[in-house]
Amino acid sequence: MSNDILVITEHMDGKFSDVSFELVGKAKELASALGGQAVAVVVGGGVDANVFASDATIHIDDAALGQFNPEAYGKVIEALVKEKSPRLVMFGWTATGMDLAAWLSAKLGVPCAAYVKEIGSDLMMGCQAYGGKLMAEVAPEGDMAIAACLAGSFPAEAGQGSTAATATASPVDLGSLKVKFVEAIKPEGGDVDITSQTKLVSVGRGIGGKENIELAEELAQALDAALSCSRPVVDAGWLPRTRQVGKSGLKVKPKMYLMLGISGAPEHLEGMKSAELIIAVNTDKKAPIFNVAHYGATADLFEVAEAMLELL
Amino acid sequence: MNIVVAIKHIPSIADDLPVSGNNVDFDSVDFVLNEFDEQSIEQAVLVKEAVGGTVTVVGVDLIEELDNILHLAIAKGADKAVKVTADEPGADSHMQAKWLSEAIKGLSPDIVFAGVQASNDLDGQIGPMIAAHLDMPYIGGVSSVEVADGTATVNKEFAGGVGAKYSVSLPMVVGVQAAAKPPRYAPISKVRQVAQTATIDTVEPSGDASSGLTFKKMAPPVATGHAEMIDGSPKEVAAKIVELLKSKGLA
Amino acid sequence: MLTTVEKIIFILAALTSVGFTYHGFKTIVDSIRKGRPAPELKDIPGSLVKAGVAVLFQQTIFKARKVLSAIHMGLFFGLITYAFVNLTDALEGLIPGFDLVYGGKNIPFKFLPAGVINTFNLIADVMSGILLFAIIVMFVRRFITKDKALTFRDNILLNPKVLAGAQARDSLIVDVFVVMHVGARLLSQAYRLNEGPDPFMPIASFLNSMVGSSEVGVHVAWWVSLGWVMFIIPYLSRSKHTHFFMSPINLGLAKQNPRGQLDPAVPLKVIEGTRFDPGAKHVHDLAWTRVLDAYACVQCNRCQDVCPANFYQRPLSPSALEVNKRYLLKEATFGSHPEKLLLPLTETVISPEAVWSCTTCYACVRVCPVGNEPMADIVDIRRRMLIDGYEIDSGVQNALQSLATNGNWMSKGKRLRGKWAKEMEFPVKDATAEPVDHLWFVGDTASFDERVIPNTKMVARIFNQAGLDFGIMYKEESNAGNDVRRVGEEGLFEQLVEQNMAAFGKSQFQRIVTTDPHSFNTLKNEYPQFGGQWEVKHYTVTLLRLFEEGKLTVKNKLSNYKVTFHDPCYLGRYNGGFTAPRKLLELLGVEFHEMPRNCENSFCCGAGGGQIWMGKVAPGERPAENRIKEALTTFESNASDKKQLFIVTCPKDMIMYSDAVKTTGNEGRIEVRDIIQLIAEAVGVEEPAVAEAVAA
Repeated sequence: MSNDILVITEHMDGKFSDVSFELVGKAKELASALGGQAVAVVVGGGVDANVFASDATIHIDDAALGQFNPEAYGKVIEALVKEKSPRLVMFGWTATGMDLAAWLSAKLGVPCAAYVKEIGSDLMMGCQAYGGKLMAEVAPEGDMAIAACLAGSFPAEAGQGSTAATATASPVDLGSLKVKFVEAIKPEGGDVDITSQTKLVSVGRGIGGKENIELAEELAQALDAALSCSRPVVDAGWLPRTRQVGKSGLKVKPKMYLMLGISGAPEHLEGMKSAELIIAVNTDKKAPIFNVAHYGATADLFEVAEAMLELL
Repeated sequence: MNIVVAIKHIPSIADDLPVSGNNVDFDSVDFVLNEFDEQSIEQAVLVKEAVGGTVTVVGVDLIEELDNILHLAIAKGADKAVKVTADEPGADSHMQAKWLSEAIKGLSPDIVFAGVQASNDLDGQIGPMIAAHLDMPYIGGVSSVEVADGTATVNKEFAGGVGAKYSVSLPMVVGVQAAAKPPRYAPISKVRQVAQTATIDTVEPSGDASSGLTFKKMAPPVATGHAEMIDGSPKEVAAKIVELLKSKGLA
Repeated sequence: MLTTVEKIIFILAALTSVGFTYHGFKTIVDSIRKGRPAPELKDIPGSLVKAGVAVLFQQTIFKARKVLSAIHMGLFFGLITYAFVNLTDALEGLIPGFDLVYGGKNIPFKFLPAGVINTFNLIADVMSGILLFAIIVMFVRRFITKDKALTFRDNILLNPKVLAGAQARDSLIVDVFVVMHVGARLLSQAYRLNEGPDPFMPIASFLNSMVGSSEVGVHVAWWVSLGWVMFIIPYLSRSKHTHFFMSPINLGLAKQNPRGQLDPAVPLKVIEGTRFDPGAKHVHDLAWTRVLDAYACVQCNRCQDVCPANFYQRPLSPSALEVNKRYLLKEATFGSHPEKLLLPLTETVISPEAVWSCTTCYACVRVCPVGNEPMADIVDIRRRMLIDGYEIDSGVQNALQSLATNGNWMSKGKRLRGKWAKEMEFPVKDATAEPVDHLWFVGDTASFDERVIPNTKMVARIFNQAGLDFGIMYKEESNAGNDVRRVGEEGLFEQLVEQNMAAFGKSQFQRIVTTDPHSFNTLKNEYPQFGGQWEVKHYTVTLLRLFEEGKLTVKNKLSNYKVTFHDPCYLGRYNGGFTAPRKLLELLGVEFHEMPRNCENSFCCGAGGGQIWMGKVAPGERPAENRIKEALTTFESNASDKKQLFIVTCPKDMIMYSDAVKTTGNEGRIEVRDIIQLIAEAVGVEEPAVAEAVAA
């Protein structure tokens, strides 16, 4: 048993995601309080692993780990965790981390907290549950725990550094995998890249239907902005997935983020909270978005949109 | 094909959630089906419609109200329903995943569907845990599934339209983000008809697992800030927004 | 008059005509009988007599288009007269010497006093003129001035035959028939006048002065006149003018249940060996009385005139529905396409989009002179579409799912329903826990919508001030299901009824009061079928009584307001609740002006029948916007500088019209208020500043 903290980093197309740095930064803080080491774990190749401020970085590369493969990654991480017996294993509560954290927890019989937003030096964890309606403080039992943390919970800068990674071969045989990566799916070409826009008009469930997208599109055009949306709009097929902001969508950081009919689920906030100017229009005056937006109005989004169009 | 859907009955977040002690006051909340489970039921039925087989929906009956949900699933195209009678409204994902795994084992599934997550997954989701217990591979965040010759081809979404296609030799567990089509509507008359004719298999909870988490506190989040509210009629609001944007050179 | 050969030809022709006529009407009756059992009709002979009287006095057509109705009246009386005229004409032909001109003085046997015959001749002569005039007006209207009311917008589904002009052809045939028939008859009479003018036959005499008398002419004109009749009667059974015979029957067999009670989704009458699926997919899934509708319809399009969905450029025309039914049935029964009956109604009669555009306002049924119920067909079609898994509008699906889960359409938790009441400055009783006199059924919009809650609270304050013993059912109340049923989700409606019945069962109360006309309608008219027999009142009635009993008194007369009032469909047209709101407004001392479309003729706001769940869809002027303009025009003709108010008594109206005032840019000119806001002002009840501040 050690007081080390393992951070399972994630990367795609040669770039680490912000959450990896956030977790490493937090791990460093916790490790120094616990008297252990913050160890960044990089699984898979094609990436420069010497970018973390971790106390150590383990880089496991193998042909089978070239692309994210939950089965292969799971086996590797399981073996590594067994070997290192860390105090805490940190994942991002992300598309990849969500495939691994709870699986590892059940596999090893180790407590796991998800939706983690805060971690104390006593490993008390603050979790944002029930769609952000409640915050839970939980204490994991035993001497190992898993934390799956919401992106954007900790500052990323603290995790950035240049610790030299130690390359290691896969601790397990990855010969006969049931899961095979077939191909990457790229966003449909030709659509707007919302991550590079300086202005976004974003619509949520409140837009009501596909037929109303046009109005939002008009407003976006009038503002010289692009149209983005929250997950329900995409799930309903009203806009393509390339327009989705949030956890399962894209992270955006525009100068202006005008939100129409988005209540502000934590998953959406993850994708847009660092926008410079957030204006939210929603009929529910208690919508959580008003705790995040800079300006808010409780009003009918259609009326506001139409009135704005007249003024622009 | 034996297709299994593992579902979660969870407190509705449509209401304010009252707290009792260090957890949700489970006696005074309504329970609803996890919204992602609606997607996973739909995806399961779509697979059945494509390749044949039976869809069995399995859930833990936490408050003796799961029958309605199971009837709804049957009305939408599931063939069988099984409930684990736990009567423990606060059962966490670890417990439920263990009980469900034990119940699913006997069904010799070719593929198991679960919602990718639920709003009360404080200790992780049941999907990956069921996969761990049943020793099957798991892929979550899935938005389409095709099955042929003992192999499933699934699309997993990462973010913003970026994803990956995997082929998996069955059996496996799939965490559904969105079904290939929006979930269908089941007319209540059909649900009521199902309620009169369908039988729901009942199994006792078996096995033991725990999240290993102790709840120390549960409370609504303290708002760290609040938007400056723009009052007035929609016209006035629109005017003020436009003015604001202009003042910042954004319109 | 006729020669023997002519007589033989005439009798043979008449028999052939009778044969074709019998075949025609038998085909129609067989087709009607294939429809499903209709809700039980009581005292059919009595209703038929009543309908006969109504038809005789042309009562039902004057609900709209007054001038054209008068023309129709001329046609009607003319054709009735001609039934007798044709009979006497036939007798003239068959019986030697039977000649009614000059008071029948040439008839060789004693028949009737000359006075009677002269009266008959005068009526026949004058009616001939009226008939010709009326038919020419109708002809001009359709073919010369091309009245747009007789046409359908391009986006409306029409039977291919209709598109190819079948209606115009049918009309032209009848127009030509009437002109030829009546013209020939007048001419045959003119030719008979060999002794100069007959003062009792002014038109025929005038013609005689031009054409003279002629034996050959009499024969030819007689044959043209009666020949046409023998052709046209069997033809009528195959054309839209079956109307002549079927409309009085249809009127006599029209809906007897309250307007606000929909027909069941499956017939109540059990038929051994027959299992009915809910609603209607094919034309014969409709109740037989509604198959009959198609034959009674003369395709006047009055229903289209009053349809809010049609106004809103939606692809719905209730008239097109009946017209399409008629031509479909014709092709299948008289034509060679019986297989067309197996096509879904949504392909042959009404487009799916049109089905989902209906606001169920009942205006089409109300205005129909012959007792047709196109709206009921639409609801039946919706019912089956839902069962068959038709992909419904996502907004409607969300609403229905929320209704199934939460008991309200707004995706709010059940416990939030009574939240407004808990914010009040006095306790609002829980009727499920303690007995109350008035159980207030609040409804979804008034319970949850932030824009309406201030009015809801004000109703509570006024009730409280008046000492009314009332309570609400808090989380036990579910949506009453009025619109759910009208969207076609019968199963969900039943579930909601059961939930509410259970809640009512827990509660002790004397009567129900509701602020929502939609809830009011179904509680009053449909819950009795599920065992819920209560006195149900709309709050306007309860408030009026409180004034009359002196429990509320007007302290400040509101003479500074100029107001108009919108009758909500489900209070007014459906349930006749016209007087209470108007009496209340009178008591309050406002200056009241009636909009042109008021009471029975009120124009729907566009929200009913599930439309409010669909969000904003179509472009174009919305019904509510049109209504606000109507109100402003009404005020314009009564100009003064008083504050102009649009008064509503329905939470949905509050939302729809407040929106419409804004979208038409009329803020400042007119304001939408619930009647309770005026009452509060007049009675002197104010919102406590503190309570509101907390709520905000």
